[in-house]
Amino acid sequence: MSEKQLLDRSSDAPMKRHMGLKASRTLANTSIYVLLVVISVIWLIPFICIVLQSFRVESTGQVGYVIPQQWGVDNYQRLFQTDFPRWYVNTFIAALFTAVFQTIIVLCMSYTLSRFRFKMRKPLMRFMLILSMFPGMLTMIILYRVLSDLGLTQANAVPGLILVYIASSGMGYYVSKGFFDTLPKSLDEAARVDGATRFQVLKKIILPLSKPIVIYTVLTAFMGPWGDFVFARYISFGTSSGMNAAVGLYNWLNRDQIEKSYTLFCAGGVLVAIPVTVLFMCLQKYYVEGVTGGAVKG
Amino acid sequence: MASVKLTDVKKVYDNHVTTVHDFNLEIKDKEFIVFVGPSGCGKSTTLRMIAGLEDITEGTIEIDGVVVNDLQPKDRDIAMVFQNYALYPHMTVYDNIAFSLRLQKMPEDEIYEKVTNAAEILGITEYLTRKPRALSGGQRQRVAIGRAMVRNSKVFLMDEPLSNLDAKLRNQMRAEIILLRQKLNTTFIYVTHDQTEAMTLGDRIVIMRDGIIEQVGTPMEVFEKPHNIFVAEFIGAPKMNMIKTNLVKEGGCYYVTPFGARIEVDGEKGEELIQKGVKPGPVTLGVRPEHMVLAPEGGQDAIPCKIEVNEMMGSELHLHLVTEDETRLIVRVPTIELSAQQREHLGFGTQLYITFKGKVMHFFDSESGKNLIYG
Repeated sequence: MSEKQLLDRSSDAPMKRHMGLKASRTLANTSIYVLLVVISVIWLIPFICIVLQSFRVESTGQVGYVIPQQWGVDNYQRLFQTDFPRWYVNTFIAALFTAVFQTIIVLCMSYTLSRFRFKMRKPLMRFMLILSMFPGMLTMIILYRVLSDLGLTQANAVPGLILVYIASSGMGYYVSKGFFDTLPKSLDEAARVDGATRFQVLKKIILPLSKPIVIYTVLTAFMGPWGDFVFARYISFGTSSGMNAAVGLYNWLNRDQIEKSYTLFCAGGVLVAIPVTVLFMCLQKYYVEGVTGGAVKG
Repeated sequence: MASVKLTDVKKVYDNHVTTVHDFNLEIKDKEFIVFVGPSGCGKSTTLRMIAGLEDITEGTIEIDGVVVNDLQPKDRDIAMVFQNYALYPHMTVYDNIAFSLRLQKMPEDEIYEKVTNAAEILGITEYLTRKPRALSGGQRQRVAIGRAMVRNSKVFLMDEPLSNLDAKLRNQMRAEIILLRQKLNTTFIYVTHDQTEAMTLGDRIVIMRDGIIEQVGTPMEVFEKPHNIFVAEFIGAPKMNMIKTNLVKEGGCYYVTPFGARIEVDGEKGEELIQKGVKPGPVTLGVRPEHMVLAPEGGQDAIPCKIEVNEMMGSELHLHLVTEDETRLIVRVPTIELSAQQREHLGFGTQLYITFKGKVMHFFDSESGKNLIYG
């Protein structure tokens, strides 16, 4: 074999192997993407159906086709002649109050459990962890009794719901405590020596450093009441003015209602989905960071 | 500017571990005091108790005559520099330094003046708009010092401020802390595990072990008159050689007999032994590596050894020697005193003789470890 041939072989061989690697990687990626696209199409079909149906004008009941024959916003206009605005506002108030108060409580709770050392701290944490493993539904009947004695059911269901949502929020400390634990304690200590009170430490040092986890907390606190159905239905107990959007919309799917309200239901569903979608699109960067950030932040 | 007084201060943690035992110390106004000791000796805990970051289990701490046991850190008028800098990562250098002043609600123009002044002293003016993560270790430490500086507090606490820096930078910052001290002219309490830092910085040094003060004194005192074996070995590098030997008294003179040699305890040390009336008998003899010298063969005071390791440090040689009964000694020899031929000759296994003078000896009780003269 000549020297030239030898050189050719030696330079060619790794090249071929390299190409093989690249090709197989491309193949793997392509198949993964194809699979993901198929899954997301399946996933999106119900949503697309609802959006399309909400613009159907020619009939109001369930039909055997997806694309409307006549397009229009009649359904959205009709929504405002029903109780829907009331339900929507109810949901919004409940979610907003819960988001504000639950966030405050959770963050204070997490900071306390992360930074303060007191007797029964560990037993308390364990107790709350175990308690939070029981489904909330278990307490539904007794909570209804309590709220009805307080006059916070049916027409007054919204304040009652807010009370229930906020009451147990301290138990959701786990994720944010985990995040706070990763922030060096000497930051607190430096700030305290610098003249800050514990609350100022939380406000000026810890929270600005915990943006992802604060946003995560706000989002989860908002989402819970926004999408709640079971509890809201039970507490409002058939009184339309106390219902939230999910409960109210569900009632339009009754056998005697569905023929005239199905497209209305679809339009309502779209309106309910919009704020949450916008919120997620704006904050998803932080949200993902928040969920994973607590665990491994260096 | 204030005095600090610790009376019977004790720290017991929740798991019943006592880290500080009955700590008594009076720190004078404008004094630079250094707590030094091996890790886990309670020096940082004591500092943190003064700062108010740890509860005091028993005893009292007074700053400027006021008992501060139950005061929050913010009410103690102290400034502190932490080992890991503890800069607020989301704030610029300027905001970091201004943080405490803003909490005091100082007018912004006054803050500006103070911060820029401090930055100038520390040479960090050009970094004022940067975030801490864009700074090097030395620059971060300067910011941390700046943050403590602007407060004009009564007491300046430093918890191992240089241990995260590399050796060269550490030397430089050490010199800068001495300069800073002259400028600030306030009470400093400095914690370190590095005896060099302690010796060079402190007006007085507090040497601690297992939560107990072993000795308090000026750098010269603790170096020349260590109260016990622990202090003797802790201060000075390489550490003091400890030799188990006999103290003999003959004709009004003391002698020691290490490894078959016979060396007279002459001069001041001999007189001090006589004054103290130290009884002859087995003792632990301490001699610093720099006080041992190479001796000619065959003298009565010459100790025969073999070289195990020869460390060339540049200006001096550290010879690790082993005697006939397997005792290990370290000798520091200035390179300048050796001829080139001698230097080459000092390899592994070389036989040589060493000796030392009476005035450099330290005598310790072999059982209690106490200095027989000063302990």
